Amino acid sequence: MGADDIRLQVSSDPCLLGVIRGVLQVWMEVLGLARGRRDEVVLAVDEACSNAIRHAYGGRTDESIDLVLSASTDWIEIAVSDQGTPCPSECSEYRPLVAPAPHEVVPGGLGVKLIYEVFDEVRFCPGTTSGNCVTMRLHRTAKHEVDGED
Amino acid sequence: MRIEQTTTADETIIRVEGDVDLYSSPELRKAVLKAVPKAATGVGIHLGSVSYMDSSGVATLVEGLRSAKEHGKTLTLVAPSNSVMKVLELARLDSIFAVRSD
Repeated sequence: MGADDIRLQVSSDPCLLGVIRGVLQVWMEVLGLARGRRDEVVLAVDEACSNAIRHAYGGRTDESIDLVLSASTDWIEIAVSDQGTPCPSECSEYRPLVAPAPHEVVPGGLGVKLIYEVFDEVRFCPGTTSGNCVTMRLHRTAKHEVDGED
Repeated sequence: MRIEQTTTADETIIRVEGDVDLYSSPELRKAVLKAVPKAATGVGIHLGSVSYMDSSGVATLVEGLRSAKEHGKTLTLVAPSNSVMKVLELARLDSIFAVRSD
Protein backbone atom coordinates (compact mmCIF):
# COMPACT_ATOMS: atom_id res chain seq x y z
CA MET A 1 0.00 0.00 0.00
CA GLY A 2 1.33 3.42 -0.91
CA ALA A 3 1.14 6.71 0.91
CA ASP A 4 -1.18 8.11 -1.74
CA ASP A 5 -3.66 5.25 -1.54
CA ILE A 6 -7.27 6.10 -0.84
CA ARG A 7 -9.13 3.84 1.55
CA LEU A 8 -12.88 3.72 1.81
CA GLN A 9 -15.05 1.74 4.15
CA VAL A 10 -18.69 1.76 3.11
CA SER A 11 -21.74 0.02 4.54
CA SER A 12 -23.07 -2.81 2.43
CA ASP A 13 -26.20 -0.83 1.61
CA PRO A 14 -27.02 -0.68 -2.11
CA CYS A 15 -28.14 2.92 -1.71
CA LEU A 16 -24.46 3.84 -1.14
CA LEU A 17 -23.21 2.38 -4.42
CA GLY A 18 -23.74 5.77 -6.06
CA VAL A 19 -21.39 7.34 -3.51
CA ILE A 20 -18.66 4.83 -4.37
CA ARG A 21 -19.16 5.51 -8.07
CA GLY A 22 -18.87 9.24 -7.46
CA VAL A 23 -15.60 8.89 -5.53
CA LEU A 24 -14.14 6.66 -8.26
CA GLN A 25 -15.08 9.14 -10.98
CA VAL A 26 -13.42 12.06 -9.20
CA TRP A 27 -10.31 10.03 -8.33
CA MET A 28 -9.77 8.93 -11.93
CA GLU A 29 -10.51 12.40 -13.25
CA VAL A 30 -7.73 13.75 -11.01
CA LEU A 31 -5.46 11.00 -12.36
CA GLY A 32 -6.25 12.13 -15.91
CA LEU A 33 -8.08 9.08 -17.24
CA ALA A 34 -10.37 9.65 -20.19
CA ARG A 35 -14.11 9.70 -19.55
CA GLY A 36 -14.89 6.54 -21.48
CA ARG A 37 -12.31 4.54 -19.58
CA ARG A 38 -13.45 5.98 -16.24
CA ASP A 39 -17.01 4.86 -16.96
CA GLU A 40 -15.87 1.31 -17.66
CA VAL A 41 -13.80 1.13 -14.47
CA VAL A 42 -16.69 2.55 -12.43
CA LEU A 43 -18.99 -0.12 -13.87
CA ALA A 44 -16.59 -2.98 -13.08
CA VAL A 45 -15.89 -1.81 -9.51
CA ASP A 46 -19.61 -1.28 -8.96
CA GLU A 47 -20.13 -4.89 -10.03
CA ALA A 48 -17.53 -6.07 -7.50
CA CYS A 49 -19.27 -4.13 -4.72
CA SER A 50 -22.69 -5.40 -5.79
CA ASN A 51 -21.37 -8.96 -5.71
CA ALA A 52 -20.15 -8.41 -2.14
CA ILE A 53 -23.60 -7.17 -1.12
CA ARG A 54 -25.60 -9.84 -2.95
CA HIS A 55 -23.45 -12.93 -2.61
CA ALA A 56 -20.99 -12.50 0.27
CA TYR A 57 -23.45 -10.72 2.58
CA GLY A 58 -26.67 -12.21 1.19
CA GLY A 59 -28.22 -8.75 0.92
CA ARG A 60 -27.45 -7.67 4.51
CA THR A 61 -27.01 -3.90 4.57
CA ASP A 62 -25.21 -3.50 7.91
CA GLU A 63 -21.89 -5.08 6.94
CA SER A 64 -18.92 -3.30 5.43
CA ILE A 65 -17.11 -3.16 2.12
CA ASP A 66 -13.51 -1.94 2.00
CA LEU A 67 -11.95 -0.35 -1.05
CA VAL A 68 -8.32 0.62 -1.61
CA LEU A 69 -7.58 2.80 -4.63
CA SER A 70 -3.92 2.88 -5.73
CA ALA A 71 -2.19 4.40 -8.72
CA SER A 72 1.23 4.74 -10.30
CA THR A 73 2.31 6.24 -13.60
CA ASP A 74 1.88 2.79 -15.15
CA TRP A 75 -1.33 1.45 -13.62
CA ILE A 76 -4.32 2.02 -11.44
CA GLU A 77 -5.46 -0.66 -9.02
CA ILE A 78 -8.63 -1.08 -7.01
CA ALA A 79 -9.09 -3.72 -4.32
CA VAL A 80 -12.59 -4.52 -3.03
CA SER A 81 -12.91 -6.73 0.03
CA ASP A 82 -15.62 -7.96 2.35
CA GLN A 83 -15.92 -10.14 5.43
CA GLY A 84 -18.83 -12.20 4.19
CA THR A 85 -19.23 -15.75 2.98
CA PRO A 86 -16.38 -16.84 0.69
CA CYS A 87 -17.62 -17.21 -2.86
CA PRO A 88 -16.98 -20.57 -4.56
CA SER A 89 -13.96 -20.34 -6.84
CA GLU A 90 -16.03 -21.32 -9.89
CA CYS A 91 -18.03 -18.11 -9.46
CA SER A 92 -14.94 -15.99 -10.06
CA GLU A 93 -13.41 -17.93 -12.94
CA TYR A 94 -12.74 -16.15 -16.19
CA ARG A 95 -15.46 -16.64 -18.76
CA PRO A 96 -15.38 -14.61 -21.95
CA LEU A 97 -18.28 -12.41 -22.92
CA VAL A 98 -19.84 -13.72 -26.09
CA ALA A 99 -22.96 -12.57 -27.86
CA PRO A 100 -25.66 -15.17 -27.15
CA ALA A 101 -28.24 -16.36 -29.63
CA PRO A 102 -31.57 -14.62 -28.94
CA HIS A 103 -33.17 -17.78 -27.52
CA GLU A 104 -30.19 -18.37 -25.22
CA VAL A 105 -30.25 -14.99 -23.49
CA VAL A 106 -30.71 -15.31 -19.74
CA PRO A 107 -30.70 -12.58 -17.11
CA GLY A 108 -27.80 -12.39 -14.65
CA GLY A 109 -24.26 -13.73 -14.44
CA LEU A 110 -22.65 -10.69 -16.03
CA GLY A 111 -20.85 -9.00 -13.14
CA VAL A 112 -17.65 -11.07 -13.00
CA LYS A 113 -17.46 -11.19 -16.79
CA LEU A 114 -17.59 -7.40 -16.95
CA ILE A 115 -14.80 -7.14 -14.36
CA TYR A 116 -12.55 -9.34 -16.51
CA GLU A 117 -13.59 -7.44 -19.63
CA VAL A 118 -12.62 -4.03 -18.26
CA PHE A 119 -9.41 -4.75 -16.32
CA ASP A 120 -6.07 -6.09 -17.56
CA GLU A 121 -5.37 -8.09 -14.40
CA VAL A 122 -7.94 -9.54 -11.98
CA ARG A 123 -7.20 -11.57 -8.86
CA PHE A 124 -9.98 -13.08 -6.76
CA CYS A 125 -8.91 -14.22 -3.29
CA PRO A 126 -11.74 -15.82 -1.34
CA GLY A 127 -10.94 -16.41 2.33
CA THR A 128 -10.88 -19.91 3.77
CA THR A 129 -13.52 -19.26 6.42
CA SER A 130 -14.74 -15.75 5.68
CA GLY A 131 -14.21 -12.82 3.40
CA ASN A 132 -13.40 -12.17 -0.22
CA CYS A 133 -11.06 -9.81 -1.99
CA VAL A 134 -10.83 -8.92 -5.65
CA THR A 135 -7.90 -6.84 -6.89
CA MET A 136 -8.32 -5.22 -10.29
CA ARG A 137 -5.50 -3.55 -12.19
CA LEU A 138 -5.63 -1.44 -15.34
CA HIS A 139 -2.45 -0.74 -17.25
CA ARG A 140 -2.26 2.93 -18.13
CA THR A 141 -1.57 3.62 -21.78
CA ALA A 142 -1.80 6.81 -23.78
CA LYS A 143 -5.28 5.87 -25.01
CA HIS A 144 -6.58 5.79 -21.44
CA GLU A 145 -5.49 9.32 -20.64
CA VAL A 146 -7.60 12.41 -21.17
CA ASP A 147 -7.83 13.02 -24.88
CA GLY A 148 -10.44 15.69 -25.06
CA GLU A 149 -12.95 13.69 -23.05
CA ASP A 150 -14.03 10.88 -25.38
CA MET B 1 -34.07 6.72 -10.31
CA ARG B 2 -37.51 7.90 -11.35
CA ILE B 3 -40.06 5.97 -13.37
CA GLU B 4 -43.08 7.32 -15.21
CA GLN B 5 -45.52 5.17 -17.09
CA THR B 6 -47.92 6.14 -19.84
CA THR B 7 -50.23 3.90 -21.80
CA THR B 8 -51.56 4.42 -25.30
CA ALA B 9 -53.88 2.24 -27.34
CA ASP B 10 -50.87 0.40 -28.74
CA GLU B 11 -48.09 0.53 -26.25
CA THR B 12 -47.10 1.13 -22.65
CA ILE B 13 -44.13 3.46 -22.26
CA ILE B 14 -41.97 3.26 -19.14
CA ARG B 15 -39.78 6.34 -18.93
CA VAL B 16 -36.71 5.91 -16.71
CA GLU B 17 -34.50 8.67 -15.37
CA GLY B 18 -31.29 8.53 -13.29
CA ASP B 19 -29.11 5.61 -12.20
CA VAL B 20 -30.26 2.00 -12.61
CA ASP B 21 -28.20 -0.11 -10.23
CA LEU B 22 -28.55 -2.79 -7.57
CA TYR B 23 -30.47 -0.31 -5.40
CA SER B 24 -32.98 0.87 -7.97
CA SER B 25 -33.31 -1.94 -10.51
CA PRO B 26 -35.83 -3.97 -8.43
CA GLU B 27 -38.31 -1.10 -8.85
CA LEU B 28 -37.78 -1.06 -12.62
CA ARG B 29 -38.07 -4.86 -12.76
CA LYS B 30 -41.39 -4.73 -10.93
CA ALA B 31 -42.72 -2.04 -13.28
CA VAL B 32 -41.63 -3.86 -16.44
CA LEU B 33 -42.90 -7.29 -15.42
CA LYS B 34 -46.23 -5.77 -14.37
CA ALA B 35 -46.62 -3.74 -17.57
CA VAL B 36 -45.77 -6.46 -20.10
CA PRO B 37 -48.85 -8.72 -19.69
CA LYS B 38 -51.20 -5.72 -19.60
CA ALA B 39 -49.80 -3.91 -22.63
CA ALA B 40 -51.86 -3.96 -25.81
CA THR B 41 -49.03 -4.85 -28.16
CA GLY B 42 -45.88 -4.19 -26.21
CA VAL B 43 -43.78 -2.10 -23.88
CA GLY B 44 -41.29 0.63 -24.74
CA ILE B 45 -38.68 1.42 -22.11
CA HIS B 46 -37.47 4.97 -22.62
CA LEU B 47 -33.85 5.09 -21.48
CA GLY B 48 -32.77 8.47 -22.84
CA SER B 49 -32.31 9.98 -19.38
CA VAL B 50 -30.55 7.03 -17.76
CA SER B 51 -27.18 8.26 -16.50
CA TYR B 52 -25.87 4.86 -15.39
CA MET B 53 -26.84 1.22 -15.74
CA ASP B 54 -25.17 -1.82 -14.16
CA SER B 55 -25.60 -5.54 -14.82
CA SER B 56 -28.71 -5.71 -12.62
CA GLY B 57 -30.30 -3.14 -14.94
CA VAL B 58 -29.24 -5.18 -17.96
CA ALA B 59 -30.69 -8.31 -16.32
CA THR B 60 -33.96 -6.42 -15.82
CA LEU B 61 -34.12 -5.58 -19.53
CA VAL B 62 -33.36 -9.20 -20.44
CA GLU B 63 -36.03 -10.44 -18.08
CA GLY B 64 -38.49 -7.99 -19.61
CA LEU B 65 -37.63 -9.22 -23.09
CA ARG B 66 -38.18 -12.85 -22.08
CA SER B 67 -41.48 -11.98 -20.45
CA ALA B 68 -42.60 -10.09 -23.55
CA LYS B 69 -41.84 -13.09 -25.74
CA GLU B 70 -43.73 -15.39 -23.39
CA HIS B 71 -46.76 -13.11 -23.57
CA GLY B 72 -46.57 -12.56 -27.33
CA LYS B 73 -45.73 -8.87 -26.84
CA THR B 74 -42.85 -6.66 -27.95
CA LEU B 75 -40.26 -4.94 -25.80
CA THR B 76 -38.42 -1.99 -27.31
CA LEU B 77 -35.66 0.19 -25.92
CA VAL B 78 -36.46 3.81 -26.75
CA ALA B 79 -33.66 6.33 -27.26
CA PRO B 80 -31.18 4.55 -24.98
CA SER B 81 -28.51 6.88 -23.60
CA ASN B 82 -24.82 6.42 -24.33
CA SER B 83 -24.37 4.92 -20.85
CA VAL B 84 -26.99 2.26 -21.55
CA MET B 85 -25.60 1.42 -24.98
CA LYS B 86 -22.09 1.20 -23.56
CA VAL B 87 -22.99 -1.45 -20.97
CA LEU B 88 -25.10 -3.39 -23.49
CA GLU B 89 -22.16 -3.37 -25.92
CA LEU B 90 -19.69 -4.42 -23.23
CA ALA B 91 -22.05 -7.28 -22.30
CA ARG B 92 -22.43 -8.22 -26.02
CA LEU B 93 -26.18 -7.85 -25.64
CA ASP B 94 -26.77 -4.77 -27.78
CA SER B 95 -28.04 -6.79 -30.74
CA ILE B 96 -30.76 -8.74 -28.91
CA PHE B 97 -32.99 -5.73 -28.25
CA ALA B 98 -35.20 -3.81 -30.64
CA VAL B 99 -34.13 -0.17 -30.39
CA ARG B 100 -35.79 2.95 -31.75
CA SER B 101 -35.18 6.65 -31.42
CA ASP B 102 -37.65 9.01 -29.74
